Amino acid sequence: MSLLKQNTALFGENIPWFEGLREKACTIFARIGLPTAKTEAWKYSYFKEDALNKPQIDSTPHQCDGHCHDESNLPFLAVDIKYCNGKLTHIAHDLPCGVIIRPLYEAIEDGEIKPYLNKSFDMEEFPFAALNTAFLDEGLFIVITAGTVLNMPIYLHYHQHHDVNRLSNIRNIVVVEKGAKATLIEHFDGENDAQYFDNIVNEIYVGTGAILQHYKQQNEAQKAHHVALNSVLIKADGQYNAFIVHGECTLARTESYVRLTQENAAAEINGVYRLEQNGISDITTNIRHLAPHTNSDQLVKGVLDGKAKGVFQGQIHIAPDAQQTTGYQLHRALVLSDEAEVDCKPELEIFADDVKCSHGAASGDLDAEQLFYMQARGIPLQEARQILIEAYLNEVFEKAKDSAVAEWMKDSYL
Amino acid sequence: MTPKLLEIKDLSAGITESGKEIIKHLNLTINSGETHAIMGPNGAGKSTLSYVLTGKPDYTVTGGSMHFCGHDLTALKPEERAALGIFLSMQAPVEIPGVTTQFFLKHAVNAVRKYNNLPELDTAEFLKLLRSKAKEFEVSADMLKREINVGFSGGEKKRLEILQLSLLQPKLAILDEADSGLDIDALKIVANGVNQWHNNDNSLLIITHHLDLLRQIKPDFVHIYADGHIIRTGGMALAEELETSGYKNYLEASI
Ligand SMILES: Nc1ncnc2c1ncn2[C@@H]1O[C@H](COP(=O)(O)OP(=O)(O)OP(=O)(O)O)[C@@H](O)[C@H]1O
Ligand SMILES: [Mg+2]
Repeated sequence: MSLLKQNTALFGENIPWFEGLREKACTIFARIGLPTAKTEAWKYSYFKEDALNKPQIDSTPHQCDGHCHDESNLPFLAVDIKYCNGKLTHIAHDLPCGVIIRPLYEAIEDGEIKPYLNKSFDMEEFPFAALNTAFLDEGLFIVITAGTVLNMPIYLHYHQHHDVNRLSNIRNIVVVEKGAKATLIEHFDGENDAQYFDNIVNEIYVGTGAILQHYKQQNEAQKAHHVALNSVLIKADGQYNAFIVHGECTLARTESYVRLTQENAAAEINGVYRLEQNGISDITTNIRHLAPHTNSDQLVKGVLDGKAKGVFQGQIHIAPDAQQTTGYQLHRALVLSDEAEVDCKPELEIFADDVKCSHGAASGDLDAEQLFYMQARGIPLQEARQILIEAYLNEVFEKAKDSAVAEWMKDSYL
Repeated sequence: MTPKLLEIKDLSAGITESGKEIIKHLNLTINSGETHAIMGPNGAGKSTLSYVLTGKPDYTVTGGSMHFCGHDLTALKPEERAALGIFLSMQAPVEIPGVTTQFFLKHAVNAVRKYNNLPELDTAEFLKLLRSKAKEFEVSADMLKREINVGFSGGEKKRLEILQLSLLQPKLAILDEADSGLDIDALKIVANGVNQWHNNDNSLLIITHHLDLLRQIKPDFVHIYADGHIIRTGGMALAEELETSGYKNYLEASI
């Protein structure tokens, strides 16, 4: 594999446990390789041959003359953090009490990361997470200490310029300790003609009674590839609420791998995607109910036009002793052109008997009667279509817990 | 200047998909200030006529012509026809989940204003206008906040249609069974609303099966419509006669 032959000097060479992890990752990746059309988990969104041959691992220090140290201009207060070209360029100076945010390499050097790094998934099952481990070159270690209730979101802005076609392997470890509450926003964008590959792995540990709201807005450049794994472990009474927004991109995949490990753990995954060109949006979820009284709920809606393709794969697994559990899932898509395509693969694996589960999927076009009614009132067809599309996706936005964040996401999206 | 608002000549139209002809060689001229009523048996093609006039894509004109204020209607999109002043109160108003009534109405009003080179209303201006109309048509603030027509009763839907007529101030209003499903008081509200809007510069085409609305809106002409065209024209007396004798005599005579 040409990737593995790239000559790179990444951090951590003199830290034996970490070097060992990298080597193991290399070995696994060399064996399993990139997913192909035959790989079940990737059959709808496999990569074209050269998607990963061209991007380079860029271990040089960050340099660009962009505004990569500027603070964001969000319509609400946030703890600002910026990745530019895959490198950390800004971490807010004044962190709220009870929040620790450190560059990942520091936490690797002093070993604090050890209980968390690569502890939430098995690399054999996730080729891109193996790749991410092998070439890990940037990331954050974020801890919300026990009982801390953050009154503003932590905002991670990932921006890519168009200078080099690079592969960025970023890992964020997010630990929300017992009883803590926090909101994390991830925002990905890139310059118009930029070509790059973002390979993101987030390992998220939600403690007992803790709550994490995780918002993600993917607005990468049209030629970009984006693959993200959110690997989440939730303890008793903990909650993880994800809100995923996918825009245009060559291929964007967000995989939520969520384990409800103890009683009353709950997860909610909401997502919207809207593509009008020829990109692929893949929202994949795997929710594993491993304890009684655990709940999950998913609503994903998409709008596809042009030659775009939408993929939703939703797996709900209910372990034998996960009684009195609920797992709901609904995926719907509007397919606005003949050449657009939607692939939906729901999978329920239920081994307990006292459970409530449902999944649903539907796709269709905009309603002709509704369009005509609006036109008959003077509203131009294009505007009428836009109103209907917004109304369609709004059902999902309304489920977002933080209305200010939801409003911001909607404004930069719809 | 010609007072002709709508001129339909030898119009034929059918269902786009199947090609089935519904409107057959129809002639009808409506001048400014006039009120015309169309009555006819179920399935005669009355609603189809209203849709052909407003440009619903389900139907295609196959012959003849229709002009509105001198514009060839077949060359105009539905939204252009609406913006030029054709309003259709639908037999079955459409529900649009996710779109509130207020939002919808504001878009409609401003779309029409924009087309006619009038400044768009801002939210405050629009709300002021809407509130006065809502009061007139006894449409509650709650209804305006709800999704348009979703879960509205039959009568509520019809009241909202006439509220839209009053907001948009068209030149020609086609009311397709605007009176169906209305209680006595609601019928009065609808009739008053229509009468208030109606003047010498605008016209009405009322499609109905009942005389109640006609008694309050007083048509100048009553047409009997069967098998895709008008088979007989008279005044209010013709409508009264139909109420007692039905369509039977006229249908037999026209064969
Ligand atoms: N889109 C369509 N597809 C198939 N048939 C249609 C369509 N539209 C109208 N028709 C048929 O055309 C005929 C005329 O329908 P239309 O609704 O115009 O009748 P109408 O005179 O308004 O009747 P009513 O008094 O019951 O409202 C009917 O037989 C109807 O079934
Ligand atoms: Mg009808």
